[in-house]
Amino acid sequence: MANEKSVASSGGSMTFTLETAHEHVSDVIKAIPESLTAFRCPLCGKSFVGYGELERHYALEHPEDVVPVIIVLQLNGKACEVLIEPHWTLQRTLQFRLGLTGAKHMCGKGVCGSCTVIADGRCILACQTLAVELEGVEIQTVEGIAADPKWKTLIDSYCRWDAMQCGYCTTGFLVTAKALLDRNPNPTEEECKEALAGNICICGTYPRHATAIMEAALKMSQPPEPPAAQGFGGFGGPGGFGGPGGPGGPGRRPPGQPS
Amino acid sequence: MADLVGVNGQRESFRVVGRHNLPGKLSYALATGIAKFGIDYVMPDMLHAKFLRSPYANARVTRVDTSRAWKVPGVVDILTWEDEDIKNLVSRGESFGPSRPWLDTLADTEGQEVAVIVVAESEDMCERALRELDVTWEVMPHIVDVMAGRDSEAPVIRPEVRDTPVFGAPGMGPVNPPKQGNVAFSNTVSGDIDKGFAEADYIVEYELRLPPFASHMPNPSGSVAWWEDSVYGGEGKDLHIEGAVRERRAIADMYDVPLEKTIQDGLFMGGKYCDWGLRKSQEVTPLLAKRTGRPVRCVNTREETFDFIMKERFMQLKVGFTKDGLITAIDDHSIADGGSWGSSSFGTTGDLTMGPYNSFKCQNVRQQMEIVDTNRGLMFVSGQHCPFNWDIGTMAIYLISEKLGMDPIDVAQLNLHGPDSQDDTRPVPSFDACIDAGRKLMDWEPHRAGEKRLPDGRLHGASFRYQMCPRHSFSGYDAKLELRDGVVHLPTQGPLFGVYAVECNAMVVAEELGLEYEDIAIDFDYREKFTPVGGGSDGTTASAWVMKECANVLKREILEATVEQIKNPPAPSMFGGFGFGGPPQADPFEGVVSADELDLVDGKVCLKADHSKGKPLRAAVSANLFATYSGRPPTALWAQGMGKKLDTMNTAYCEVAVDEETGEVEILRFGVVADPGKVLRPTSLESQIDQVMFFSQGCQLLEDYIYDPKTGVKLNNNMIDYKKPGILDVPRVDREFLETRAGNAAYGSNGISHSLANSHLVIIAIHNAIGVWVDPPATPDKVLLALGKC
Repeated sequence: MANEKSVASSGGSMTFTLETAHEHVSDVIKAIPESLTAFRCPLCGKSFVGYGELERHYALEHPEDVVPVIIVLQLNGKACEVLIEPHWTLQRTLQFRLGLTGAKHMCGKGVCGSCTVIADGRCILACQTLAVELEGVEIQTVEGIAADPKWKTLIDSYCRWDAMQCGYCTTGFLVTAKALLDRNPNPTEEECKEALAGNICICGTYPRHATAIMEAALKMSQPPEPPAAQGFGGFGGPGGFGGPGGPGGPGRRPPGQPS
Repeated sequence: MADLVGVNGQRESFRVVGRHNLPGKLSYALATGIAKFGIDYVMPDMLHAKFLRSPYANARVTRVDTSRAWKVPGVVDILTWEDEDIKNLVSRGESFGPSRPWLDTLADTEGQEVAVIVVAESEDMCERALRELDVTWEVMPHIVDVMAGRDSEAPVIRPEVRDTPVFGAPGMGPVNPPKQGNVAFSNTVSGDIDKGFAEADYIVEYELRLPPFASHMPNPSGSVAWWEDSVYGGEGKDLHIEGAVRERRAIADMYDVPLEKTIQDGLFMGGKYCDWGLRKSQEVTPLLAKRTGRPVRCVNTREETFDFIMKERFMQLKVGFTKDGLITAIDDHSIADGGSWGSSSFGTTGDLTMGPYNSFKCQNVRQQMEIVDTNRGLMFVSGQHCPFNWDIGTMAIYLISEKLGMDPIDVAQLNLHGPDSQDDTRPVPSFDACIDAGRKLMDWEPHRAGEKRLPDGRLHGASFRYQMCPRHSFSGYDAKLELRDGVVHLPTQGPLFGVYAVECNAMVVAEELGLEYEDIAIDFDYREKFTPVGGGSDGTTASAWVMKECANVLKREILEATVEQIKNPPAPSMFGGFGFGGPPQADPFEGVVSADELDLVDGKVCLKADHSKGKPLRAAVSANLFATYSGRPPTALWAQGMGKKLDTMNTAYCEVAVDEETGEVEILRFGVVADPGKVLRPTSLESQIDQVMFFSQGCQLLEDYIYDPKTGVKLNNNMIDYKKPGILDVPRVDREFLETRAGNAAYGSNGISHSLANSHLVIIAIHNAIGVWVDPPATPDKVLLALGKC
């Protein structure tokens, strides 16, 4: 069941920067429940203190229904015990049992990529994959990626290039991009597009993703910049997405630094 | 230069406005997955709800027996249209069409919510209970073919509805005839059609179909609601509603809850571009939560989230013009899908008063519209579409250019009236600048249909269109800024739906206050009044104008407070005499007696005469200050005549390659030259242009609603069978922005609003390639059919 942290609004009066978002998502990861404390019948809502009682309840009250199962998911580096019905998808399990909503429900048919997660290094669609199939598989969601400092650069690039508008599909793109960079740390624009071919963005942000990914790849391949370094110059030219100036600019104070 | 009434409207130097790559204030929440959309909320002990939905396109529930459904495990509540709680529900959101019970027994489209709601421990149990309902349906004839619905022999699907809106244009023509069968009428006439055609050297006639287009909100509509003891006590519980973003007041009114006791933390709307209609799944959860005493979630499936953003229409056009290409008369007859209950005047009669005809010199125009009742679906308010008759205006210009062997840009330039009226023959500077830049951008070399072949053997086609850059002008804004502990805060209720409007406003505040974008703290809070919604996709230029005024009010207060602090400095620190901080600094403000001697530059309050002498804002002013400004910029020129006055314009271009053997159409590139007046936030403006060009691609090459004529069932309301463009489908979009400063919102901006989406830019380019017309969506089979190859 969802925890308080995951239910809290991410909008109300909160300021998000790369750092605060990283801290917040790290807290969300920490708050994922690892062991079961309640055994609730998904059919009628009655609660029991142990799985055995739940099984007996099914035998008596719902003899024709399939008894929920307990599985252990290796999720974002944690072993998480969940009680689900066998037909539950991973997307449903993440949202309704573990409080993770980064894998979004959009199409429900494996077309849009909004629910993408990484399983043993491969992108899979959480709306089309039964959770029970994934025991023993290392699963990484967008929250796990965002909590890993290594991927701050990718997230920052996505945000500074507006590689999102309404933002609903963004996490699916970002997970796919991370999987791409895992296997190809220096992708071309065409390789980025091919990797993202299974992700649909209704808002039409497509041209921005390759730009963000390639910028992140370039930065990640270089030694860390000194704090006062200029920002990335951008991909200019006709049809490109840069135009005048990258995130930096002459005479600009570093963010948050008093003048 | 416009924006003459606002402070600093003539500003020439910009540090923040116009900068690229300033991240959205909530982008980090979105990218990391911690942003919560309405349907993401999962509450302890939460129930789920589902509506009965009609399997028929037009049917009435005459009886329902719920007894078997009640026996399904986990069912907590079942309501029917006969329950008093349901009868008392009245929607307070934006709605159109005739008034009907909130939950009706009549379903006039397949999949519509009807008669029964089930609440259970899970969605699975809801669905199981719905299957156990014993429902008696009275199935009635349906209309899902708009043209068939016009037939005098067609069944009349809404005979009892007498108040079907028949919009007209008062003072512009004869009284509209009464509704006949399924068809309502709306006619407008200006000038003298007969005289205009008599003056013409040529007359061309054409018919076209504009396909329907799915709104396709990424996040399925839904809500989660619960009631809780008030944080501050008092009578009654607080209503917490998530998922009806921006509609807190509508929900509060619906349930007679004071606004201050209606809580909505979540700000993320998803891609609801100008679709403000509340769905029943967003309205019903407070009732169900009250009845059950538990949180309730109700969410539509993707299949249930397939509303129109643009409805189907058919158009017949007759245009008279001289041998020079000057239009003398236009006779326009259109047949529009009126849709089902919930349809609006947008996309039908509301467009009659807009469009290209008002931008022409020709004033002999007749528009006759038939609005046909159908059982095809719903359209809530408006969408990311351009008033439809822009398509037919674009078509008229192309047809004239084809007939006379002229460049369509020249035809458009000849027919476009001047800035002040349809009688004004002067050029429109913004338009001329756009076409000059457009010709260069596209290496524009127009050719007649079928005359150009590419080196790879495919046929080449190109097309052009123009539009105004209109700006929303009908909302006022209540802006508030606060200097708190040395930091400028911009409180706003949001919402967040993808146009970076809040960020654009923050950039203007930073510009005016001599600060950086990162210095402005945006406080998102559902209780705040300021919401920068209101057209102008460049971050909502009208609200930015109001925020600019507010920033200057705050600036004045800051400078006055600085003077006050000079006169009456705060008491020295008790540690001041112990040597911390080094020797006393010379006071840069010594001798200052008036705020007029000060300025705010680069984060400092400084002497106007010498910017090097100053103090950081936090040190200069210890007071906490508020500034407010309510109002709006002057009405946009566009809105003062719906095109009869012209300021900011844009042009769009398309190049295609058509393979005659396979029928495949490849869009080689789109080009857009837009003059939003002043570019405020370029990164999001670029995205908005990409978005509408991809919308155009989708509805011209890929998208359509398919119905089974026998049952009236929509066959492709899912993302497999209804194809949206993906990243490998979309073409290059070359864009260029001009800044004529001719708008009258912030700094002479107008924005681009809905002005670019167009369903015939690609279709015209295809005709220019192959010399025959293909109705959109131009799928390969249709292209081959048009070429006589299948």
